[in-house]
Amino acid sequence: MPQPIVETRELTKYYGEVKAVDHLNLTVYEGELFGFLGPNGSGKTTTLLMLMGLTIPTSGTATVAGYDIVKESKEIRRVAGLLPEGAGYYEDLTARQNMDYIGQLNGIPKPEREKRIKELLEAVGLERWADTRVEKFSRGMKQRLGIAEVLIKRPKIAFFDEPTIGLDPQGVKEIRDIILRLNREEGLTVFYSSHLLYEVQQTCRRVGFIRNGRLIATDTIENLSKKVAGAEGKTLEFELTEITPKLVAEIRAIDGVASVEQEGLRLYVYMERDRSREVSETITKHGSVILLMRPREYSLEDIFLKYYEEV
Amino acid sequence: MRRFERMGVTIVFRKELADHLGSRRYLVLFALILLLSTMSAYQGVLYIRDRPQAGFMAIFWGAQFGFSFTYLMVFFGPIIGLALGFDAVNKERTSGSLSVLLSQPIYRDAVINGKFLAGVTALSILGVSTITIMSSLATTLLGFGPGAEDLLRITLIAALTILYLAFWLGLGLLFSTVTKKTSTSILMSIATWLLCSIMISIIAALVANMIAPIPMPSGPGANMTRLFESPEYRELIQRRFTIQSNIQRISPAYLYNEAVQAIMGRAGGFFFIGPGGGSPFRSLDISQALTMSWPQITAIAVGLVACFAASYILFLRLEIRPGG
Repeated sequence: MPQPIVETRELTKYYGEVKAVDHLNLTVYEGELFGFLGPNGSGKTTTLLMLMGLTIPTSGTATVAGYDIVKESKEIRRVAGLLPEGAGYYEDLTARQNMDYIGQLNGIPKPEREKRIKELLEAVGLERWADTRVEKFSRGMKQRLGIAEVLIKRPKIAFFDEPTIGLDPQGVKEIRDIILRLNREEGLTVFYSSHLLYEVQQTCRRVGFIRNGRLIATDTIENLSKKVAGAEGKTLEFELTEITPKLVAEIRAIDGVASVEQEGLRLYVYMERDRSREVSETITKHGSVILLMRPREYSLEDIFLKYYEEV
Repeated sequence: MRRFERMGVTIVFRKELADHLGSRRYLVLFALILLLSTMSAYQGVLYIRDRPQAGFMAIFWGAQFGFSFTYLMVFFGPIIGLALGFDAVNKERTSGSLSVLLSQPIYRDAVINGKFLAGVTALSILGVSTITIMSSLATTLLGFGPGAEDLLRITLIAALTILYLAFWLGLGLLFSTVTKKTSTSILMSIATWLLCSIMISIIAALVANMIAPIPMPSGPGANMTRLFESPEYRELIQRRFTIQSNIQRISPAYLYNEAVQAIMGRAGGFFFIGPGGGSPFRSLDISQALTMSWPQITAIAVGLVACFAASYILFLRLEIRPGG
């Protein structure tokens, strides 16, 4: 049974009158790669800042690795790493000097620090640039340096806030591969915040949807997909040789079929219950030939929009 | 654990100090001050050669062709201190390195304390080395050095200069904590500098002239000399001087100048030319000087504490928000 590493209870944050996070209840388990998905301004960053003790919740509580986010935030920062959105570095220092500073602040003794810096710069592919000033780095390189800085403390959990934003596809892939490898090989718990659906789909197993500071759903992507499909009933897509208005009317008349839509030679049949047999029999009876028949699949966008429209 | 907590400040301090000492901004200011102060010490040496009774301390005030050390500090002191502090916090906020820094297992006050102490150290290095170089240069040129009492006075001047520069650093730090953008805090710094170093004396003179105007006798038979020698005129001049001093005391630069003049053994105001062009200064011993300059020193120290306390509290309450 996996142990919870992040637990929030009714976590709430107001900025003046504006509700940024609204009674958030969330659990993340040790060793998982959790996707925190939501549109811009939905409260993702604020949640992460609260979990790291950088901002104080208006009400509610939360623990990270067993430590209270208000009373023991310094202990949290010892065992948890955050790559903030738009993280910055000391531009006139080299990558190694930047990491050394962070390493010192984490109380890592010098020989160990040097060893870890070398390993981590290799792990994120910056070993050639170790002694280059950060001002010469590209966005992707800076972001990789940021990941290395998060890892220098050997955290139990790493929070990544929009880690691939503004990167080119190559940069995105590099960051994704690094995060996936850390989770699989090192068993690092990753809390991955993003508004990019495909990012999250390709990286995370379990996701939490947040909108207007509220958590709408938490599950694996397959289950969420099934739920959307279940709520919608079943949809079948047909491609036929000919479609007559009479055929459409007859399919509509079948008990359990909610509606039928025609698009050229394609038919979309929405059913409350499974009526695939009856529908295909009706088509054949009319002398039309079924060229293609398949259940309609929901793309991640559909799921995403579905969840956001509902609430 | 406890040892590590204290280390947070030390680590921030070391990094910030290295940043200062290697920064172009600091080195340029240092070079400028060093150049101007050696020039002023050289002028001081010439002054002492002409008037052997002036004493060694004249290297700090005896510049005939401009910039004495005290004037240098009145004029450039604010800019040195403010330059080291005005972007200490908001630069890191804008660049995004502050949220990375605060995600480390340290208390927040370690950051602001470390930054302030590093600034004070950098300023101390500047102040002490400038004064040391001036004194040794003057000693070499004159062939005699400062006496025991002079050494004590020089040490006091060094300490006061550090306090004074630290005040400006504290004010710069406050500006950098209050504002989000470095462009705003740099403008605030420049405005403060202009006001405290230049504008204040103009304002004071204008106000004094409004309250106590100098009568200008005109027409034939007007006797200027008689007017200048009359006791009423002397009294008027004294009154104008008092008004001007009191207004200028708003500026820490003026307070510093008054205190330094007293420590150097000179009573009276820096911007004041005595009646008939004679020197209004009389010699003070050290205890008299300290008594006289104590209110000024206290005022600067209170200002420093107030600035630092305000930036400390604001920084600790600073909320890290999405988007900086």
